[in-house]
Amino acid sequence: MNKLIYNYIKENRSRILDTWIQNMRNKADERLIKGVSTEVFESTSDEFVEMIISRLTEKEEEFLSLLTDFAEKVVRLGWPLVFVNEGLKEFEKIVYGGLVDQGLVNQDKLLEVVGDLDSFMTPMQNEVVNMYSQIWEKTVSLQKIALQELSAPLIPVLDRITVMPLVGTIDTERAKQIMENLLNGVVNHRSEVVLIDITGVPVVDTMVAHHIIQAAEAVRLVGAHCMLCGIRPEIAQTIVNLGINLNEITTKNSLQKGIEAALEITSRQIVEMEEVE
Amino acid sequence: MRIPILKLYDCLLVSIQWELDDATALQFQEDLLHKIHQTSANGVVIDITSIDFIDSFIAKVLGDVVSMSKLMGAKVVITGIQPAVAITLIELGIVLDDVLTALDLEKGLEKLQQELGD
Amino acid sequence: MEFQSCVKIINEWDIVAARQLGRNVAKELGFGTVDQARITTAISELARNIYLYAGQGKVCIEKLYEGGKSGLLIIASDEGPGIPDVRKVMEDGFSTSGGLGAGLPGVKRLMDEFDLDTTIGKGTEIRAIKWLR
Repeated sequence: MNKLIYNYIKENRSRILDTWIQNMRNKADERLIKGVSTEVFESTSDEFVEMIISRLTEKEEEFLSLLTDFAEKVVRLGWPLVFVNEGLKEFEKIVYGGLVDQGLVNQDKLLEVVGDLDSFMTPMQNEVVNMYSQIWEKTVSLQKIALQELSAPLIPVLDRITVMPLVGTIDTERAKQIMENLLNGVVNHRSEVVLIDITGVPVVDTMVAHHIIQAAEAVRLVGAHCMLCGIRPEIAQTIVNLGINLNEITTKNSLQKGIEAALEITSRQIVEMEEVE
Repeated sequence: MRIPILKLYDCLLVSIQWELDDATALQFQEDLLHKIHQTSANGVVIDITSIDFIDSFIAKVLGDVVSMSKLMGAKVVITGIQPAVAITLIELGIVLDDVLTALDLEKGLEKLQQELGD
Repeated sequence: MEFQSCVKIINEWDIVAARQLGRNVAKELGFGTVDQARITTAISELARNIYLYAGQGKVCIEKLYEGGKSGLLIIASDEGPGIPDVRKVMEDGFSTSGGLGAGLPGVKRLMDEFDLDTTIGKGTEIRAIKWLR
């Protein structure tokens, strides 16, 4: 590392920090400032510059752990990657400007200094981008897992009758998961009738309907009946308006009606007991 | 190797225990039709619990067997289609429209009695 | 790590060999029963296509490790007549063999990635991938 740069940053640390915060404040868009109080902005900025400087003073591992902490923090605060990246560039600019202004660099050394500064900053930039994308990937995969856990359970309600309530949006991935659960459940519980309740499904478009039809067809193949319950008026409207043919599937407007029909299929009925004295 | 076909009263019972290759599948088709002719059976239950995949060829053979048996006056129920098999059939885009199905052999026989009783 | 094994498709029995190989590899990679069935079925369809239309060819199975995820790659290649109208064979319900016409679009639905490369008179290569979730 170039001694010159190192010393300069060390000596002018507070001045660099002030300029940096000033400049960044001008750059930050409103959304960013609004959501974050001045103190937090300043302390975070302080931490940011601190982190950059730690690259000079600390060992590699310590710097990396600082960087990780910092990246996690700014992601939580919602600082866009562009802004952080800009911050790094700004820092480089300030240091370079300062070096030139103070006459610490002459023409001959200029290229060398620029090169050194660059090789100091670039890995850091890469690391920041890397950190960000890692954190994003982690979030996405966590969300995926969370979504899978949300995936439809199969509930045996009566002998040979099971219910699968569907909640939330259904995409292809989830539809596959649901189909698997559904069929395995039917076979394991030895159900004769499965009721799929879609009260909790916000939108039924062609694709969702397609998945439901496929599931019903698959249920038939393993040897059970499939019934669709909980069709709200707006869902019925969209289904017909989209020209989706659900004629092959028995549909009921409520789970209750569905269970009644299921009992009928399995040749049973609920009888009211006479009151015993 | 041939798939054994058993007679039980007026029904025929078939349990396919191993992976079907093309030749065996076609041989089975022929054997079953002969057996229906011989015994003048009214119903057939084909149990495929042990089969863990069906491609379009085997699906076609099975579908054909069902239609052919129907022509000869015998109703066919296929039982024990595994979830994985059902899913792959659906994704392949194969519809076994007029095939009767049941969860297992026992329910298959029940269903057949029902169908024949009607 | 590279891992590839192939089965030559010359007669009907090789279709069985190809799908058995595929199922074993899928099991080794830790695919669930449904995905195993998807992979086995896809291989069976592709191998049968080779047997029916090209006479002979081969089916190769490869384990993939890419960016932290693993998968299974099926390569079905032949030096047959090629496919004259790719768009048409990828349409549902199209069949020249009198089968159910589930063939290629069906395979595409069973797998995660599907790639078809064909030259008239030179042959056809189909690559299909299933990723382990």
